[in-house]
Amino acid sequence: MALTQDPRPTTRWAATPSSGELVCLSLGGAVIFFGSWQLIAMSGLVSQYVLPSPLTVLAQIYQLEAEPFAGFLLHQHLLSSLERFLLGFLLAAVLGIPLGLIMGRYRMLDEIVTPLFEAYRYVAPLAWVPFAALWFGTGIGGPVMVIFTGAFAPCVINAYRGAQFVERYLIEAAQTLGASNLRIMREVLLPGALPSIVAGLRVSAGLGWQSLIGAELIVVSSGLGYVMVQGQSNLAPDIVMSAMLVIGVIGLCIDVALREAERWLSRRWGRA
Amino acid sequence: MSRIRFDNVSKLFQRGNGTIAVLEDVSFEVEDQEFVTIVGPSGCGKTTLMRMVAGLETPTLGSVLVGDRPVRGPGPDRAVVFQQFALFPWKTVGENIAFGLKSKRVLRRKQVELVAHYLKLMKLEGTEDSYPHQLSGGMQQRVAIARSYAIEPEVLLMDEPFGALDAQTRTIMQEELIRITAANPRTVLFITHSVEEAVYLADRIVVLSRHPGQVREIIDVNATRERDGWSARAIEEVMETPSFTHLRAHVWKLLREQMGAANG
Amino acid sequence: MAQFDVMAPRDQLAHQPRLMRLPRQPGRGWVVGVITIATALLLWYALTSLTGIINSYRFPSPPEFLAALRQIAVDGYAGGTLLRQTLQSLKIVIEGFLIASLVGVPLGFLMGWSPRVEALLNPVFLLIRPIPPLAWIPLAIVWLGLGDGAKIMVIWFAAFVPSVINTFTGVRQINPVLIEAARVHGATDWRVAKEVIAPGALPMIFTGLRLSLQASWTTLVAAELVGAFLGLGRVLSIAYRDIYPAMIAVAMVTIAIAGALMTQLLARIERMVIRWR
Repeated sequence: MALTQDPRPTTRWAATPSSGELVCLSLGGAVIFFGSWQLIAMSGLVSQYVLPSPLTVLAQIYQLEAEPFAGFLLHQHLLSSLERFLLGFLLAAVLGIPLGLIMGRYRMLDEIVTPLFEAYRYVAPLAWVPFAALWFGTGIGGPVMVIFTGAFAPCVINAYRGAQFVERYLIEAAQTLGASNLRIMREVLLPGALPSIVAGLRVSAGLGWQSLIGAELIVVSSGLGYVMVQGQSNLAPDIVMSAMLVIGVIGLCIDVALREAERWLSRRWGRA
Repeated sequence: MSRIRFDNVSKLFQRGNGTIAVLEDVSFEVEDQEFVTIVGPSGCGKTTLMRMVAGLETPTLGSVLVGDRPVRGPGPDRAVVFQQFALFPWKTVGENIAFGLKSKRVLRRKQVELVAHYLKLMKLEGTEDSYPHQLSGGMQQRVAIARSYAIEPEVLLMDEPFGALDAQTRTIMQEELIRITAANPRTVLFITHSVEEAVYLADRIVVLSRHPGQVREIIDVNATRERDGWSARAIEEVMETPSFTHLRAHVWKLLREQMGAANG
Repeated sequence: MAQFDVMAPRDQLAHQPRLMRLPRQPGRGWVVGVITIATALLLWYALTSLTGIINSYRFPSPPEFLAALRQIAVDGYAGGTLLRQTLQSLKIVIEGFLIASLVGVPLGFLMGWSPRVEALLNPVFLLIRPIPPLAWIPLAIVWLGLGDGAKIMVIWFAAFVPSVINTFTGVRQINPVLIEAARVHGATDWRVAKEVIAPGALPMIFTGLRLSLQASWTTLVAAELVGAFLGLGRVLSIAYRDIYPAMIAVAMVTIAIAGALMTQLLARIERMVIRWR
């Protein structure tokens, strides 16, 4: 599995080592990394309270599920995080994609919205946390708003780009076949922009997941980010690291799922 | 009554400090169910003329009328076949052909019938559930033609529809087009670069000049076609006949004049 | 619309002009933009001070905003003046960003150059990559306390991954024909790397730097929100604690402007370096 999962041609200029050799090297790299980590942790060179061993981290995951930590079991924290993420992400997509499409099609709207959009875009999503907390208190609205701010921009931008790149003659063909503007939006612009939109959803999901964790470091009382903060307060890096592992895995799953959607789409419709 | 009428049509563009006349004072008529080809050098505005009939562009001066009504935007009464096929890649062949039918609010069952009918007409049976990218160029263009035909337009506008095809497919498509328009006559406005194509397909040829775009000459071909029985012969044969060669040479002469004038 | 570096799909056709309902006039974009902003500002003023529809507890009015701005610019807030806080934040971002780039770009280059190195380091990357940079904050605090060190570590992670990946991709996407041509002319590995690959990868390297910088800035704000002694994030956090919406707004605006300026600066540097584009 290449670094970027990119199917483009690679280093044809150098003698390409056999795939067997590469697999060995990867395995070797993994072994060296985790092995030395485990050894260092076990040797006592560094305190267990600073660098827990990989095994301890894994064991901790199990422990977090067995006994409630910071109020809930691990899977409950996980669901809490996922719920917020999905709400924020879906909201961003449902509002952002149509906006991007319409902006891509109607230049006037583009000119009106763009200055506002640019102003919003340069504000780091987490900078919204204080306002989110002020407006929503400790409810779910706060994190959802922060996630929304992070996930919104890529949805709009990619829908916008996608709509712009829909070949002009496709839109003209639809017009000459008598389609209404709404129908053109739904049946030409949206499918035409879909590859770009899905690519944008991937970025969006990544940024949204990030913003979620960030928000959970500050304004919540459940969730994976909260687990990390509690772990930090208790000076328990093993808990922090196990939460990080779960966060990483979930983030990876979301990304892989969306990438597969991208691939399926391009296979089915024959477009890049 | 003429089906299409160009009345002193001019198309002007602002470019820098001056104006460029892509078309200047173009007037001619296309009769009902007539097949008219428009030839001319690049940039003579022939595509622009077609797009005006389609409603995708508006004349700066003058007017374009279809069936005595001025053109006010695109619509299914004037179907367009694009050079790039313009098939929706995310719809199947069947869905593409049915696209215009949905605008006309044709009932589902009738849609299915019509799609099947046109698939058969264009010799595309079996491709109904395929996606455009799975078909060859020639087949894709047939789907595009089927899609335009399915809405039973008054006028069929074709913008160098065979330009993206290889030479052999192109020739075959030319024969196909003759066959189809013989079976289902329409008013056709056909834009092309190819002199041979223009002569072979047309009832009349409109030769345009450029800088500015004006009508250079309108040539009647139909009389010759009828007299020499082109429709009974294969296309290669037709292109050998003296009458064809004569017409072709004539058109070429007109075009060469302009190339010389442009470069001089 | 400014560039956002998302991997847009390849398109068969060159960019088509937008569907134009109105004729294109060069000056119009500016005018509309100014009008929009002016309208937004007026609306802001109207909804807050003028009519009081939006309670100033929730969202500051223009006069309150200006008062807070004046306060922090002149007297200071949460430990320093606006300038001091901004510089503090910028200092940390740049430090983290530079260290990450100095490690990440060469590493990405090496991994791009050699499939062996890539294979070796892949497992570690696979582990680090999906972890959002912000998730490193608690760990960083455990290890390095609440000081600058923890922030730089977190920013390092935020900036490191995009630099490596983009440099790697930049190297890999170079047309092999160019390299073969260089080899045929007798160039050594070193020359190939320096004169063919490095320049060819430069655009993507800069893309990576831009993404890194943006990520660094975003991450810093978050890190400072969580715990800091000085910096724009700290201003945000104290303003929140004090329930001082106007100051929150001032901090947000400053964050946005600083972020925008840095991005522009980087773009300028890029244009100077890549002169052949």
